[in-house]
Amino acid sequence: MSFREKSAWISLLLLFVLGGIYFGNFARILAGQHALSDLHLFFALIVALIVAEVVLHVAIAIRSPQDARTPRDERERLIDLQATRIAFYVLLVGAFASNGTMHLHLRDSGDRAWLMSHAVLFSMVVAEVVKFGSQIALYRRDA
Amino acid sequence: MAIRNTIRRLRFDHGEMTQQELADNIGVTRQTVNAIELGKYSPSLEVAFRIAAVFGVPLDQVFQYDLGQAGRHKPKV
Repeated sequence: MSFREKSAWISLLLLFVLGGIYFGNFARILAGQHALSDLHLFFALIVALIVAEVVLHVAIAIRSPQDARTPRDERERLIDLQATRIAFYVLLVGAFASNGTMHLHLRDSGDRAWLMSHAVLFSMVVAEVVKFGSQIALYRRDA
Repeated sequence: MAIRNTIRRLRFDHGEMTQQELADNIGVTRQTVNAIELGKYSPSLEVAFRIAAVFGVPLDQVFQYDLGQAGRHKPKV
């Protein structure tokens, strides 16, 4: 497995796990159950994401230093572009669908904005997951 | 794929050159050389010319366009 594919796997799994923790907590807030503060959890998970990305990428770079030093070639750039294009459509649909939260009957406009911001954030996470998933699928197709 | 190549044989003829050695010579990753060799990825003209230059042969000795497999994209001649 190439360095870039390992990198895509790391980003995919981290987004999946950390996104799952955040939106799991968000679902508990919506259900009125005991949950952590979404703002504090958000920043804690952002820090965890950055630290885990750096540590794991350093670890795979140590295992295959030559691969890690080699700049992206034309095939890898093409795979990046194809995956980004697929993810763009997912983000577009998600952002459009997020507008639907404006029509929910909630107590005040603050609740609607809070819900909409989470819908947009969810769309971004799903789009990123799709991007890394597409990269892996495209790398696998050529292997 | 309509484009075939002889990279595997050319590597063999050049002292069993490894995919990594070829990749280093043409500035791509080993995985990309493998994808080209298996016919799963068609390289740019620049990379194709670099491969031919490494083996010291004309481009059409490395890559051949298979008209039979080209299907409906077959050019009118």
